[in-house]
Amino acid sequence: MLSIKNLHASVEEKNIIKGLNLEVKPGEVHAIMGPNGAGKSTLGYVLSGRDGYEVSEGEATLNGKDLLELEVEERAREGLFLAFQYPVEIPGVSNMEFMKESVNAMREQRGEAPLTAAEFLKKAKEACKQVQLPLDFLKRGVNEGFSGGEKKRNEIMQMILLEPKLCILDESDSGLDVDALQVVADGVNSQRDGERSFIVVTHYQRLLDYIKPDFVHILADGKIVKSGDASLALEVEKSGYAFLGKAYEEAEA
Amino acid sequence: MSQWLEQVIDAAQISDYLAPVRQQALEKLKADGWPARRNESWRFTPLTPVEKREAKQAVQADSLPVPAIDNLNAIDLVFVDGVLVTQVNTLNVPAGMSITSLNNDDTATQQAISSVYGQVKPTRHMFGLVNDALCQHGIFINVEAGVKIDTPVRIVNMASQNVDAHTRVVVKVAEGASATVIEQGFGDAESLTTAFAEYDLADDAHLEHYRFAMFTGKAKQLGGSHFKLHNRTTLNSTMVGYGSELSRLDVDIHHAGEFADAKMNAIYLLAEGELFDLHSTIEHAMPNGTTEENARGIVGDKARAVFNGRIHIHRDAQKTLAELNNRNLLLSRRGVINTKPELEIYADDVKCAHGATVAEIEEEALYYMLTRGVSRSKALVMLNFGFIQELINDVPNAAVREWLAPILSERFAQMEVK
Repeated sequence: MLSIKNLHASVEEKNIIKGLNLEVKPGEVHAIMGPNGAGKSTLGYVLSGRDGYEVSEGEATLNGKDLLELEVEERAREGLFLAFQYPVEIPGVSNMEFMKESVNAMREQRGEAPLTAAEFLKKAKEACKQVQLPLDFLKRGVNEGFSGGEKKRNEIMQMILLEPKLCILDESDSGLDVDALQVVADGVNSQRDGERSFIVVTHYQRLLDYIKPDFVHILADGKIVKSGDASLALEVEKSGYAFLGKAYEEAEA
Repeated sequence: MSQWLEQVIDAAQISDYLAPVRQQALEKLKADGWPARRNESWRFTPLTPVEKREAKQAVQADSLPVPAIDNLNAIDLVFVDGVLVTQVNTLNVPAGMSITSLNNDDTATQQAISSVYGQVKPTRHMFGLVNDALCQHGIFINVEAGVKIDTPVRIVNMASQNVDAHTRVVVKVAEGASATVIEQGFGDAESLTTAFAEYDLADDAHLEHYRFAMFTGKAKQLGGSHFKLHNRTTLNSTMVGYGSELSRLDVDIHHAGEFADAKMNAIYLLAEGELFDLHSTIEHAMPNGTTEENARGIVGDKARAVFNGRIHIHRDAQKTLAELNNRNLLLSRRGVINTKPELEIYADDVKCAHGATVAEIEEEALYYMLTRGVSRSKALVMLNFGFIQELINDVPNAAVREWLAPILSERFAQMEVK
């Protein structure tokens, strides 16, 4: 599914990702944890192709396609989905028209006919219900005036509608109460079908109680310094990142 | 003095029933002369494309194809190169409304026209004065008291190569009557058009008004729409401006009665290198009036938008509610916007607000949309056209709204972001 080899990336000439390797196979859930400033969010931005994030070395492929060669929208159409830590508010563009455009772009990529307004509305309503957002959210401006929790649920709703191949969830649990966390996790779990893969970026082990990872990686100072199974997250929860030693101190500095 | 203005003054022939106004206009033109560059009214809009031009006479022109507005069932009046080519006496006009040429032998009609011609439009507009003096072809629309006219009247102004065209629209809507008038100008050939319209709207009258100033390219469009409102008059006006080598629209709304309500939405979309200048003046001379003005525009690479919006609240105009807002989006660092909202308030019990903003493309929102697979051009339209779309959605006539939405979004989609 996703193959990252020796990835180096910088923002404003500051090296953030420094030789990252990661293999994600179909159906797998990988959790990425790590201290602040380790490069967790940067990884999502680099893979999605955000302007200003320069890759200086290494490669990243999605199902054999060179991601780094593609435009942002092409990467999305290849099946890459990034759930934002801070979803962007876009007043003046309704959730509905945004998602319809988006879903039909994906369908076009797959050689499918665009959905009619009625067909789309039906799907959108189902997805809306699934993440427990009121239906009038579809008519409102994208994330406009949404609470933090509503924005996160809106991201999950988009993920459900777009049916991506690989989902990167960037701190989708931050700022959520227990009930909202459950909704987000249920949304994610409903999309696990043995084929779709997930990278779950989080600070807290708590989310991993709801979304069971196959692998847990610790990202520090731009690379993965330790990998393990779900028990690694529990270890972090208990003792923090002290075991990282020098790498951790650098990242904090 | 410019060569063009001298030739204009020489060409004026004053013999008809409008002679007093024409004469006054000529005298003021001679006295004022050509505006200097420091003249506030033309500060950001150079008149060089007109200054050294050779003034040309209107000649009888061939008909050009009139652009359709789908599903709009309107009475069309067409000017080509300043000549009215529609036979007004063959029009099927609803009862209670009359449409006649300004060239009219009927004394009563002449009197009605004279009560508006040059009386609503302030004399400070130089090209308005030129129009006063030179205009040979014009239309007078009269709606009788209490008559509600549903059928819009559409006045189309077209110009072909190498011509000066001066046209006039005079409208009287009597007590309690209502009408819809659309002024539409277009063409991209080298030409100069002065198209001025004056509206005298009586007590309780309602006017739905549109002005589509869509000349582009080498066309120089210098025009104005001017309104006089009386007690409880309501005006809803939508204006759309494209830019050209030189495009200027002057709007005056004069609250001459109490409890009048004026709403004006203006949209301008300027492609590469275009210039569009909108000057509006709202005079609140009487109490209890309301004005809401929204001007919004998108300015492309090397294009220039000039907006000057003045609201003048006289000392007696207590309880006035007035809002003026100008929002702009710049697509390039080489685009220019000169915006100047002005509130001048002499009454002490009024509610007024004004503001102007200039925005650039929001990279973060664009990125967010791209990560959802939306194409770049679609994302730009969705993202940056919303504030224009809001004004399109506000258009009261459904056929006009549905005609405008795609042509404006397409014009925007073709503009490059640099």
